[in-house]
Amino acid sequence: MKNIIVIALLLVVGFYLVDSFNYIKFGDNRLGAPSDEKTVGAYYLNNTVEKTGVANVITAIIVNYRGFDTLGEVTVLFLATTGLGSILYRRRKEGEHEERVTKESSYLLQTGSKILFPFVILLGIYVFIHGHLTPGGGFQGGAIVATGFLLMLIAYKNFKLGHNQLTWVESLAGITFVSIGMWGLITGGTFLENSFIPKGTLNSLFSGGIIPIIYIAVGFKVAAELTGVLDILLSIKPSKIKK
Amino acid sequence: MVISPVHYIAVPLLAAFVIPLFAKLNREFVRIIPGIVLLYLSYVSIVLMNQVSSTGTISEVLAGWAPPFGINLVFSAFSGFLASLMTFMGLVIWIYSYRFKKIDDEPALKFYVLFLMLITGAIGIVLTGDIFNLFVFLEIVGISAYSLTSFYRNRDGAEAGFKYLLLGAFASTLILLGIILLYSSIGTLNMADIAQKSHLIPTSLKVSIFILFVVGFGIEAEMFPLNGWAPDAYSQAPGPVGAAFSGIAVKAGMYVIIRLIYTLFDIEGSFQFLIVMGLITTIIAEVSAMKQTNLKRMLAYSSIGQMGIVMVAFGIGTREAIIAGLFLMLNHAIIKGLLFLSSSYLVYNDDNKLISSLSGLGKRLPLVSFLFALGAFAIVGLPPFSGFWSRLYLLLAAADKELIYLIAIILIIAVIEIVYYFRVINKLYFKDIKVKSDDVQKPSINAVISMSILGILIIAIGIYPDLVTSYLGNAADALLDKAGYIENVLVDINN
Repeated sequence: MKNIIVIALLLVVGFYLVDSFNYIKFGDNRLGAPSDEKTVGAYYLNNTVEKTGVANVITAIIVNYRGFDTLGEVTVLFLATTGLGSILYRRRKEGEHEERVTKESSYLLQTGSKILFPFVILLGIYVFIHGHLTPGGGFQGGAIVATGFLLMLIAYKNFKLGHNQLTWVESLAGITFVSIGMWGLITGGTFLENSFIPKGTLNSLFSGGIIPIIYIAVGFKVAAELTGVLDILLSIKPSKIKK
Repeated sequence: MVISPVHYIAVPLLAAFVIPLFAKLNREFVRIIPGIVLLYLSYVSIVLMNQVSSTGTISEVLAGWAPPFGINLVFSAFSGFLASLMTFMGLVIWIYSYRFKKIDDEPALKFYVLFLMLITGAIGIVLTGDIFNLFVFLEIVGISAYSLTSFYRNRDGAEAGFKYLLLGAFASTLILLGIILLYSSIGTLNMADIAQKSHLIPTSLKVSIFILFVVGFGIEAEMFPLNGWAPDAYSQAPGPVGAAFSGIAVKAGMYVIIRLIYTLFDIEGSFQFLIVMGLITTIIAEVSAMKQTNLKRMLAYSSIGQMGIVMVAFGIGTREAIIAGLFLMLNHAIIKGLLFLSSSYLVYNDDNKLISSLSGLGKRLPLVSFLFALGAFAIVGLPPFSGFWSRLYLLLAAADKELIYLIAIILIIAVIEIVYYFRVINKLYFKDIKVKSDDVQKPSINAVISMSILGILIIAIGIYPDLVTSYLGNAADALLDKAGYIENVLVDINN
């Protein structure tokens, strides 16, 4: 009986959702003509290159038009790490240190990881430095760097991460982001305003004012935070491994 | 640098990123920095509230892009009132938790960062003028709230945190789906722009979006039947966090529901919907509160019931009713805050937090018991405390609209509240002493200060309600003035 009610309810909810999505035609041109913009998105597409000097419109939206959201998203990630750290925190006794859950891996995997590791990091850094020119950016590049560290964490049981360095990278990147925002406010503009660094020539590495700087900071922050999360999740108390 | 609403967000975020570094110099910075930030924000609140009352709503553009292309913050008399209230409650709760022993035994650094972000997220929800930005701040509130709920890392705390996490993640999904539908139908995320264009959305789609939002934010605002997380979370979270949930986080969820109904969507029957949901919420919660043996759970159910009454007040929809609703929110924040803070010391050493263990504590902890009793008298609406005036305004507003059944139900609920609060007071003062004097935890000096601030405020507002009513009147006018809101935000576009 209970199941029937649940199914009936799900059907009702499903019907209304399908009905709602039917209003939005697939492949329909909802942007409107360039002269008659119907959506905010059309404005971004028509004006970004000229007004921000950034070739990648998506980056301009993420870092500049909606940069305040990105600051929030970065904070969400920061909080996830902090919260995980507080929930999985344990007091270490004298002389006791954390161990990894993973078993010792094969020689093949270890050698392969060692060779791949620098290249993965390089790719990640490339992706976030070129965020304003090519697809990808701080979040994607940061995630790639974190996978590089994940590779090492899985391959080497005794691979140690410097928690101090992670904290420093994380905090300094966050401080950079907020300070750049505040600088706009101090110089008389608005928070996160892209006005105090020259925009440069379009499509070159040094273009777009504060946009690439913020995206590089985001890249460092995401990399440090995801690596921290992986490290917390992969380490457990020594006593539990023996059982 | 001119003081502007973005300081509410930028300064705490900067502090949150700085705290881990300063903690390496001296552990004391971890506790002090949030206090400095909250003090500064209180100063910002005072400056901005004065500015609003003299020059009107402040709409701040961010990143140099005028809305609807960029994100903006709106500091009106209404949102500013809530933001100031949250800042004030944050400051009081910070004073209380400074060197709170149970927190200092744990990783205190994480507690203060999460606590500061909970307040920042809630203030962000209230101030932002962009619906996706609102979603981001909801995530910030959510993630800090889940972690704070299970801060003590025991079995029950983990269960409560996980329950909250599941419900909260479900809520986020629904809200995101609603935002996607909204954006694909009118192509904008700015709330003023949505309010302007919402008549272009087909009605059935609009109702679907509205329901997705109400269910999503209803979880945060403790609306029945979406409040399953609340009793567990309140009873397992550290004492100051319970006060922060009821005084800060829940207010933010309620704000969004009010904003949706008053500004964003014109949907026929949404006011009646609010009254009905509020009544169901409050009746079920108050009846459940009577049955509780756990003091914190009883307060949690009482908190849900209060939010139900706030919903009813906003459902009536007249200017007087909005003033009553805002007054109820203010009272709920300070009185429930006082009750949660004082009850933490009453059940300090009892893991089950049983009401029966309070027997005779009135003699062992005279000041804490007195403040708890003061809060209990105020929340049931006895004169001359502040709770009396908000109840009175609500009854007058209901009488103006000739909603006789509402008056009857509100009065019956007041009787139920008296029954279960006075049961606790009876235990405190008129039963034999069971506990030895060594078993009780004496409150620290800062806890006494913070609780006394709230207690004095309750009495002061009770004697001079005019202290706040002018602010409340301005706030109600700002909420009702939908055209003014749109015009203020979209000033460059329409001209």
